[in-house]
Amino acid sequence: MAALREAEFAALQSLLKAPSRDAVRQLCQECFSSPPAALGPLAQRACPGLAAGPEEAEQLVSALHNLTRHVVYRGLTRAEDILSLFPENFHQNLKNLLTKIILENISAWRNEAQASQISLPQLVDMDWRVDIKTSSDSIIRMAVPTCLLQLKIQEDAALCGNNPVVSALTVELSKETLDTMLEGLGRIRDQLSAVANK
Amino acid sequence: SLCVVYSGALKRNLSSEQVRADFIALGLSEEKASYFAEQWKVNSPTLTRLAVGQTLMINQLIDMEWKFGVTAGSSELEKVGSIFLQLKLVIKKGSQLENVYVGELTV
Repeated sequence: MAALREAEFAALQSLLKAPSRDAVRQLCQECFSSPPAALGPLAQRACPGLAAGPEEAEQLVSALHNLTRHVVYRGLTRAEDILSLFPENFHQNLKNLLTKIILENISAWRNEAQASQISLPQLVDMDWRVDIKTSSDSIIRMAVPTCLLQLKIQEDAALCGNNPVVSALTVELSKETLDTMLEGLGRIRDQLSAVANK
Repeated sequence: SLCVVYSGALKRNLSSEQVRADFIALGLSEEKASYFAEQWKVNSPTLTRLAVGQTLMINQLIDMEWKFGVTAGSSELEKVGSIFLQLKLVIKKGSQLENVYVGELTV
């Protein structure tokens, strides 16, 4: 699968008009991190000097976004692999600059991609308390230990952005339930260790 | 009325001697009182356990299921290879059961 279409590589050549290498670097980072829906505003904001008009700006930003995302998706880490994505007639210096910028950012971008992938709610905190029940409507005198466990669960981090939604769930466990649960968790821990050590 | 005596005995953790005395005070013959007190002695541990089991529990954890696996790929990354753990907690809220799902665990 080709990284970009021919027209997209052509759009990248607008970067030759960039004022500095840092400007190109900055634009690459913004294009990678931006979701597809936000590319339009980014194009308007970032490319007044680089492109002849708004359409050209949008094509440039979209091409950079697709190129950087493609490299991260494929997990390319070697310069030769990235260089080989470009067509033969692509501007040599620009090709080398883009490859260098991508290699500098690839592991940060990979972490960013992993952090923003969809996920189930996550356990972020756990607090507990042990009570002794001394009486109830069915028995006037008893000494029954019970455990209260509060789990703080955060919804999908990628969906929440900067405002994570955290809900607290408090459950009560008898000693038997707690023992069963600990046994189950112990088995999970053993299996995870076995997998991690492979 | 037999149930009333036994449930009162259960509530107050009475010994079989006390139960026997209660039955006699209520007018039962010594022989019958001893028989019922003996029945109480045999069955009270079970009854006590059942009564404790009926004691109010808030959001009782009924069951926990789990699975773990490997994330193979995602829309952003062709090859991921990270381990995830998913837990399903079944909780009794009032008279209904509610499932709570928790996912992800980084090793």
